[in-house]
Amino acid sequence: MAGIFVFSEDPALTRQLLTPGLELKRALAQPLVALTRSSAEAGALAGLGADRVVLLRGAGAPEALAPAVAALASAASVVLVGGTLRGKHLAAHVAATLGAGLSTDARTLRVAEGRLETTRILYGGLAVGEESLALPAVATVPPRTFPAPAPAGAAVPVETLDVAPDARVEVLSTQPAAGEGVDIGAATRLVAVGRGFNARADLDLAVDLAGALQAELACTRGIAEDEHWLPVERYIGISGQTVKPELYVAAGLSGQVQHMVGCREAKVIVAINKDERAPIFEAADFGIVGDLYTVLPLLTAALKD
Amino acid sequence: MPNILVCYKWVLDEQDIKVRPEDLGLDTSRAKGKISDFDRNAIEAASLLVEAQGGDVEALSFGTQALKLSVKDVLSRGPGRLTWIGDPAAETADAFVVAQVLAAAIRRAGPYDLILCGEGSSDMFFQQTPVRLAALLGLPCVTFVQKMTWADGVLTATRKLPDGTEEVRVAGPAVVSVLGEMNKPRIPSLKQVLGASKKPSRELPLASLGLAPGDLEPRAVRRTPKGFLMNRRNIVYKESDPAENVARLVASLKAEGL
Repeated sequence: MAGIFVFSEDPALTRQLLTPGLELKRALAQPLVALTRSSAEAGALAGLGADRVVLLRGAGAPEALAPAVAALASAASVVLVGGTLRGKHLAAHVAATLGAGLSTDARTLRVAEGRLETTRILYGGLAVGEESLALPAVATVPPRTFPAPAPAGAAVPVETLDVAPDARVEVLSTQPAAGEGVDIGAATRLVAVGRGFNARADLDLAVDLAGALQAELACTRGIAEDEHWLPVERYIGISGQTVKPELYVAAGLSGQVQHMVGCREAKVIVAINKDERAPIFEAADFGIVGDLYTVLPLLTAALKD
Repeated sequence: MPNILVCYKWVLDEQDIKVRPEDLGLDTSRAKGKISDFDRNAIEAASLLVEAQGGDVEALSFGTQALKLSVKDVLSRGPGRLTWIGDPAAETADAFVVAQVLAAAIRRAGPYDLILCGEGSSDMFFQQTPVRLAALLGLPCVTFVQKMTWADGVLTATRKLPDGTEEVRVAGPAVVSVLGEMNKPRIPSLKQVLGASKKPSRELPLASLGLAPGDLEPRAVRRTPKGFLMNRRNIVYKESDPAENVARLVASLKAEGL
């Protein structure tokens, strides 16, 4: 059946997808169908404006449901998928099956002249591009791009569908991240660290500042993936987290575009760097040119007063 | 001993692209080409695998005629031979078209035990090609791989999840996308660079792949991109007295209600 289909294995993200989904429903005058793997979530989705809620029952990894989702949405006009790693896998498979275009990490979505128009980031964040997709079209939407919609009207009944996942890839084991399970994306204040720190122990300076600001600690890709000083869930950037805090303090990081794309929607950006020509100052509201080893303790003390 | 195909994209180096302030257009006139960053990780992963346990690595790319510039670079990084398709259609191709072209070339030249790709290209970052290839070729696909081993025709891989990792096993042939954190791509030695010119490379005309016109029609049409403009206040305190700078910053943050 025709319609707008939304899916994410992440319940919060499924709800967020309903917001652009409802816009597309109005523009295309087609039903909105929410797909979920979570029976607890299905009930919540039913009261948020979807015309149908389908609970997909079947073991296997979320992306292994791609053939089933593609079959279910075989006549869809638009399929929106939450832009997680697993979601991107599923979305690309669905797009290939439908012979459809796929806009990756779409930030805006609208229908114009019978096509889906999106904006997305190119060249590691240097540029923003518009894409115009023939229908049927698929798009992945990053977490927190849209708020969840308000409850609307009577809840629709939840349908249940047993699906067979792609069993060729066998999952042997799952290891939770060694990190602390912190949700950097939800933090309203962040202190981010980069290569300007000489040693892992020196991050204490940033930890102290974060304490004074009631902020969470974040970092660049290099600190998480090359130095392994902080868990990967704390790194901000095009292949890491995207955040929208009230305050983003960038200490000892140069401000490469691949990092800034993850934080440039922060309300206020503060930069501390000893190199006056570092690109971070172009991207900051306020900055201090100075050695972080001097500036951070002073700033922490001043904030505590 | 696996027969591996590694796909790569020749892209403009984004470090060389300048945003024109007057119209936010992109000035690419000084941008040099490079093998897309994550594809270098895929090439390195393939090369390390066969250097350790034997087998073959072939490289495959679809792009414009500018691809010619990549031949020596890619072959100096380990692959034993290269097939490339250079055609103006690559200029406007979306991931749908790229996957159709690569899949057609693979059907012709394959089969391969493993098809490796980077997690996404550093220019467009569609992150779709490996999964689309797998779907078109009817192969299983493992994405966002951090580690992998190959033994007796079976791939064991560690894939990244949002909140951890997962170990998976799949019998080849399979398609795999590798993450940037998987390895550090080599800087080819002089010997490897000299050796590259002796390795075979062949250009396949796009027309020889037997694709229908619809297979070459992008489903997603790109408009001219605009540079992203950072609209920030850029108030920078740079007095010689650090305490003075800190005091001013704290006052500014207070004025913002922070």
